[in-house]
Amino acid sequence: MSIQYCSKCVYPGVSATPLTFDDSGVCSGCRVNEMKSSIDWDRRWKMLQKITDEYRSDTNYDIVIPVSGGKDSYYQTHVAIHELGLKPLLVTYHGNNYLPEGEYNLFRMREVFDCDHIIVRPGVDTLIKMNRLGFKLQGDMNWHAHCGIFTVPIQVAVRYKVPLMMWGEHGFLDLGGMYSLNDFVEFTAKFRLEHALRGYDWHDFTDEGLEKLGRPELKEGLSAKDLMWGQYPTDDEIDAVGVRGIYLGNFVNWDANQHSRLVVEKYGWRPAAQPFERTYRMFSNLDDMHENGIHDYLKFIKFGYGRGTDHSCKDIRSGKMTRAEGIEMVRKYDHVKPRRDLERWLKYVGIPEDEFDAVCDTFRDPRVWRMENGKWVKDNIWGEASEYGNVHKDACGPGCRK
Amino acid sequence: MLKKRLIPVLLLQNGLLVRSELFKIHQIIGNPVHEVERFNQWNVDELVYLDITRGDKYDLRREDHKIKGLATPEAILDAVSRNCFMPLTWGGRIRSVEDMRRCINHGADKISINTSAVRTPELITAGAKAFGSQAIVVSIDVRAEGGSAREVFIDGGRESTGLDPVEWAIEAEKRGAGEILLQVIGRDGTGSGYDTGLIRDMSSAVRIPLVACSGVAMFEDYADGIKAGASAVAAANIWHFKELTDRAGKRAMARAGIDVRL
Repeated sequence: MSIQYCSKCVYPGVSATPLTFDDSGVCSGCRVNEMKSSIDWDRRWKMLQKITDEYRSDTNYDIVIPVSGGKDSYYQTHVAIHELGLKPLLVTYHGNNYLPEGEYNLFRMREVFDCDHIIVRPGVDTLIKMNRLGFKLQGDMNWHAHCGIFTVPIQVAVRYKVPLMMWGEHGFLDLGGMYSLNDFVEFTAKFRLEHALRGYDWHDFTDEGLEKLGRPELKEGLSAKDLMWGQYPTDDEIDAVGVRGIYLGNFVNWDANQHSRLVVEKYGWRPAAQPFERTYRMFSNLDDMHENGIHDYLKFIKFGYGRGTDHSCKDIRSGKMTRAEGIEMVRKYDHVKPRRDLERWLKYVGIPEDEFDAVCDTFRDPRVWRMENGKWVKDNIWGEASEYGNVHKDACGPGCRK
Repeated sequence: MLKKRLIPVLLLQNGLLVRSELFKIHQIIGNPVHEVERFNQWNVDELVYLDITRGDKYDLRREDHKIKGLATPEAILDAVSRNCFMPLTWGGRIRSVEDMRRCINHGADKISINTSAVRTPELITAGAKAFGSQAIVVSIDVRAEGGSAREVFIDGGRESTGLDPVEWAIEAEKRGAGEILLQVIGRDGTGSGYDTGLIRDMSSAVRIPLVACSGVAMFEDYADGIKAGASAVAAANIWHFKELTDRAGKRAMARAGIDVRL
């Protein structure tokens, strides 16, 4: 079966983000993006003002803003304070692997915005265990980060009784066009569990949970008390405070390139100092040094594409790049096995590279990958098949997924 | 008097749930099993699953997802019904009493038929005889241009029938249907509110319950459907967009003076 690619951008049909194609072969991500030009953004802004006005408090924070310290975080906080006049409480899940530039940006938020900021930092041993478990169980060492990012802010909102959260852009809406901008989609527990966490929850990572999953060989000795930061509040707790999470992307015409310029000029926000191995962009995912490299490489393993595709899709849609230029970025970056990142991460978690490769192979999507003469082969967007290294599946050692 | 029901309609396409607009645009929303698990937590009154798959490919997409390997409609229905502790209506691709029996054996409580009800109206009677009227829902998709010319469409809104929706509802009732599910193609996924005129006309023409669907943008819209004569109000997309949508929807209905199970 050959993979369908969007005829406008470079997105593949087998992807991490749910994506569909219309009769002209254009993906839902492009279609939703096209809608932006026909939206009355002034009216949307007034809708946002109305919503936030309803939640203004005399005695408490007006809003919780989940932030990583990235360009979007700065933009959200800028809008909340300087354009909406709100008193926010910033909340961060810190997964222990910030780039120095990312951490600089994060810690400076309370200085440049004069904001209260809660940063939750899980124990480092626990995080290392969660890296290993996420990788082996789910093919994603950063599962813990998705869990923390989508859990800690609502825990804080419930605990501090702040009913409104304001997220930035809805990633799945933006990249894949999962929802329409007319849906005014809000944050939900189901989205967190099913899409951000792919059906797994914190309890699957405890010894008891792994036993239930039939994967006792992966046990790391984690218990519920190690994973407090991943435990989502109950419906009744959320309902008692009335917490809802809106997305700023539904109310302002979101353009990441423009926001980056704004936050660099206004607040001295810093992009990455060193280029990444798997993308040309310098201003995304600075909150985890493994995100643009090794974590994204796993996406290539699974689905056959990576940040070269993600970032060029965004730039094609915003008119910064042609589709042909995008394909060149895909050719250049999507397949790269990141040495710097890989070596750093393997050392961090204590896994040898051959075991890493063997576990990787258990996650290859059969719709994308085939084995030919001991090599992994896939068809590419430029119409040719290419080889991408040796098959390691059979070298799969004890404890890894068969 | 019976309480008014609030019902989520889930649209299944090639194994995944989709958001729908005008019966034409479909975006993937997620996994059919997760959704039903969530609705159990919410204590939802009742659930309608409509399989709108074209072709025969059922694929849950992700190799790294906890739920995988459901590759047929029966496997999906099994997984859904195992997790579903509320009355479950299953529709789509049902052409015979045998198809109905298979769905009921796999856990459905009611069967919804649309295209096949128009093409072979005897199926309504045969189904009602085999499983009881209460198990047979006739789903009616209406194209209503400018509010005047109304026509029943079948095959996912692609084929016109020349049937008048109200007359067709009356005939479906005569043939043994236990319930009507009304959808309006031009309102699907647009958030323009229910077609209250059509609900009024249809509900006053039949004695069986009418479930109104299509057009909900806000929880406040539900009350309009009930006030126009529907016994139950349904919606699809809004259930995916916001949190705690069951209790929020019921509260909005209660605020409008409607008797609901809170």
